[in-house]
Amino acid sequence: PIEDLFASLNKHIQRSDFEQAVKVADQVLSVAPGDDDAIRCKVVALVKADRFDDAISTIQTSKKVLTDFSFFKAYCLYRQNKLDEALESLKSQEGNSATMLLESQILYRLGKMDACMDIYQKLQKSKIDSLEINSVANLIASGRASE
Amino acid sequence: NPIVLDLAYNFIDFPSLENRM
Ligand SMILES: [K+]
Repeated sequence: PIEDLFASLNKHIQRSDFEQAVKVADQVLSVAPGDDDAIRCKVVALVKADRFDDAISTIQTSKKVLTDFSFFKAYCLYRQNKLDEALESLKSQEGNSATMLLESQILYRLGKMDACMDIYQKLQKSKIDSLEINSVANLIASGRASE
Repeated sequence: NPIVLDLAYNFIDFPSLENRM
């Protein structure tokens, strides 16, 4: 039954065995096509296995799911250094912390330091009090100061 | 070039499967 497949899928995820997780997610999808959890598991496992092309094609063939995969797609494009396409994929997204972080990383790679810094400053002012965000913002600021 | 942190990666996460098993 599908519950056993999900238990198996969960076990592979816990062990960070992402290739096996993809295989079991596919088994779920063969009995329950379009299952939202299975598709998301497959996409995330593919990303964590550095299989960005496969993650994107899975997203593109799963149009009817409830999950909005724009952030995942943008992240894959970012890792493939397709930076303009990555920004494009983020456009439809609301400005939550994940979206803002990824956007700032893309802008950083594009060399747009001012725009990048603006976002980090917004993140610092937002509810999320992250030491990591603060340290990244400080690194960018000090990098610019030493230019 | 000191900025190599990929904080966005932390937001690529699996759904909870607790009620699917
Ligand atoms: K970065």
